[in-house]
Amino acid sequence: MTDLSIELTNIVGARHVLERATELLVYENDALPGYHKRPRLAVFPGTRDEVIAVVRALHAARAPFVPRGAGTGLSGGALADDVVLLGLQRMRKIISVDPAARTATVEPGVVNVNLTKAAAPFGLHYAPDPSSQSACTIGGNVAENSGGPHCLKYGVTLNHVVAATVVLPGGDIVKLERPAADHTGYDLLGAYIGSEGCFGVTLDVTVRLTPNPEGVFTMLADFTSVDDAARATSAIVAAGILPAALELMDHGTIECVESSIYAAGYPRDAAAVLLIEVDGALAGLDDDVREVQRICRDCGAREIRTASDTTERARLWQGRKKSFGAMGRMAPHLAVQDAVVPRTRLAPILARIAEIGARYRITVCNVFHAGDGNLHPNVPYNGNDPDETERVHSAMREIMEMCIAEGGTITGEHGVGLDKISYMESLFPGDSLDAMCRLRDAFDPERRANPGKVVPSHRCREWLAAPGAHS
Amino acid sequence: MARGARSAQLKMTRVSNTVELSDIVRDAHDRRTRLRITGRGTWPARAGSVAADAAELELSALTGIVEYVPGDLTLTAKAGTTIAEIDAATLANGQWCPLLPWGGDDGTLGATFATATHGPCSTTLGAPRDHAIGLEFVDGTGAVIRAGGRVVKNVAGFDLTRLLVGSWGSLGAITEVSVRLRARPAVDETWIVRVEDGAAVSRLDTLRRGPLAPLAVEALDGRTLVRIGGNAAFVAASREALKSIGEIHSADPASWIRLRVSDPHPRAPLASNAVADPLAQRVKKQFDPAHILNPGIMGEQYA
Repeated sequence: MTDLSIELTNIVGARHVLERATELLVYENDALPGYHKRPRLAVFPGTRDEVIAVVRALHAARAPFVPRGAGTGLSGGALADDVVLLGLQRMRKIISVDPAARTATVEPGVVNVNLTKAAAPFGLHYAPDPSSQSACTIGGNVAENSGGPHCLKYGVTLNHVVAATVVLPGGDIVKLERPAADHTGYDLLGAYIGSEGCFGVTLDVTVRLTPNPEGVFTMLADFTSVDDAARATSAIVAAGILPAALELMDHGTIECVESSIYAAGYPRDAAAVLLIEVDGALAGLDDDVREVQRICRDCGAREIRTASDTTERARLWQGRKKSFGAMGRMAPHLAVQDAVVPRTRLAPILARIAEIGARYRITVCNVFHAGDGNLHPNVPYNGNDPDETERVHSAMREIMEMCIAEGGTITGEHGVGLDKISYMESLFPGDSLDAMCRLRDAFDPERRANPGKVVPSHRCREWLAAPGAHS
Repeated sequence: MARGARSAQLKMTRVSNTVELSDIVRDAHDRRTRLRITGRGTWPARAGSVAADAAELELSALTGIVEYVPGDLTLTAKAGTTIAEIDAATLANGQWCPLLPWGGDDGTLGATFATATHGPCSTTLGAPRDHAIGLEFVDGTGAVIRAGGRVVKNVAGFDLTRLLVGSWGSLGAITEVSVRLRARPAVDETWIVRVEDGAAVSRLDTLRRGPLAPLAVEALDGRTLVRIGGNAAFVAASREALKSIGEIHSADPASWIRLRVSDPHPRAPLASNAVADPLAQRVKKQFDPAHILNPGIMGEQYA
């Protein structure tokens, strides 16, 4: 036991400090296979006061740390490389639900779907719905500015968080709020959301709750070519219809899903399917549905199935939401990408991805938020095979560089973390990366929160000059 | 002309490009010359709180739409482009960036985002922080910084876009903004509704919280102006719902622009220091270490 672990044990109790290698094993990964980092120790505070005391003890010890929710992230962002892992999953109290104001205040460890369950009696829900929503936490969603299929219409985490109380790495507690119409201060809440655990530790979050739509239509359109499905996506967006969700799954993904326990009844001979949900007021909803169906047929859809009840809708969605997991059947490892490209460029970009995949002899499974242009070209592979691993990494780099060249970005919702940090310099000029470091320095001058993530440290101009700099 | 000579000698400089702006600000930083960043001067009241000796840097000449692909529903324009210009360009494709800011459409894109100016549709269609997908700015050291991008979903790196929106030019001068667009409603109607008593007020409130929520509702003296938009069937249902609140009369759609120009929502003069907390002060110091950008505009003290 070190002085720090004794101190932390005094705060949270011996049961909630882990130091043995066997106990730390489960915290070596997040949901992205391929990265393993062992924390020096893991600490799990159970109350707000304990979180504050832990952060202050870490400050006093000048100890770097990594905040972590449920560890469902897909960027390696919540991995602690021989530093303290600060787990928040015991902080799972729903503090209040205010149906009149349509807000809820929760602790950071509350699971996304549990918030929606708590809002359900009032006809409300929490709109951002990452596919991991049955496990991921609101604190993690805030850290990553998470998206999800329904963010196409309803917006991402940023658009739904009203306030957050944060303990800064230096131990100060700040309340950050969404600026009101006549606000006069900086939007530090906006800056905090998506800061990937580098700016502080969330103590509580107040979110907006969304009324459940009056009507929902979920359609599955079946295409004999990926190109047609991509063209249908662009055409729906261009026609000015804003579906609640517009997801594309290609043949490889359909095969994975249909062979798994998550089988959703997707047509196995389709080259691609679009899962399209249109929701809102009942008045006028039929017209939008008919327009979507017309566009799909014009673009060559073979068949368009409409879910007739909530069970069938849930089944159609389950296949989509569990598709990453279903890919686990194919191979022990999975490379996950999260690039976003201009929506009019979807068809040619998907063709390029297929070409790159063929050239490197790898299987690319595309499953993504087509309506946003947010791609997930995923590659199941065997990480124990060095040749295959090398081919996967080379193909992924080529795909990412192509997406950047097409005017896209490297991550739409998963975050940069460790996995995409090497692309940051292709995406942003040096001064922009330095500006991001400076923003981080305002929150965490000692650079102890989630060190080594998001921005390459050599891009921070004054990195070496910072007191307590940890690389 | 030697670099930097202008800010020292002239009280007003019309900047014509980002490189020139960067040079001027870098020089001002080195010489500790205070700067007043302006667009088309549509926020005179607030600008009045800026240090009187600040040299004016006028950005309204940085104009033009840089990229607009209607099928992507995104648009990038230089900061000095007016809201009216963007509205006209997007209207041609049945789209809009529904900022519809108080004060009207003569102001610049840069100023609208720098001031985070809301409008009557902000509650339903989003505020500036919700529309911005990326921007370019010159910070208080003269560094040219690109934040975000041109695609609608983006979490690459820390969110400098949100930081700059609403910072009133005190962290950097915005030179370019990328926004997300939406399709204009197929049918867009404006009605005056007579909201006569408490029961009608409560019926209107129920409507605003329900599935037929109007795009905008503004109470004027004795009348309530309501904007409803969507497809034909949606608008027809909304119209019927309005009738159940009180007597309705068709109104001129131009009522909205007249209302926005007359601006019934003036910003109160700054009563207090908006950046009083240590975190905000550290942010300010990181981006404007010499405290030369719009000193005083956030109500803060300057020496």
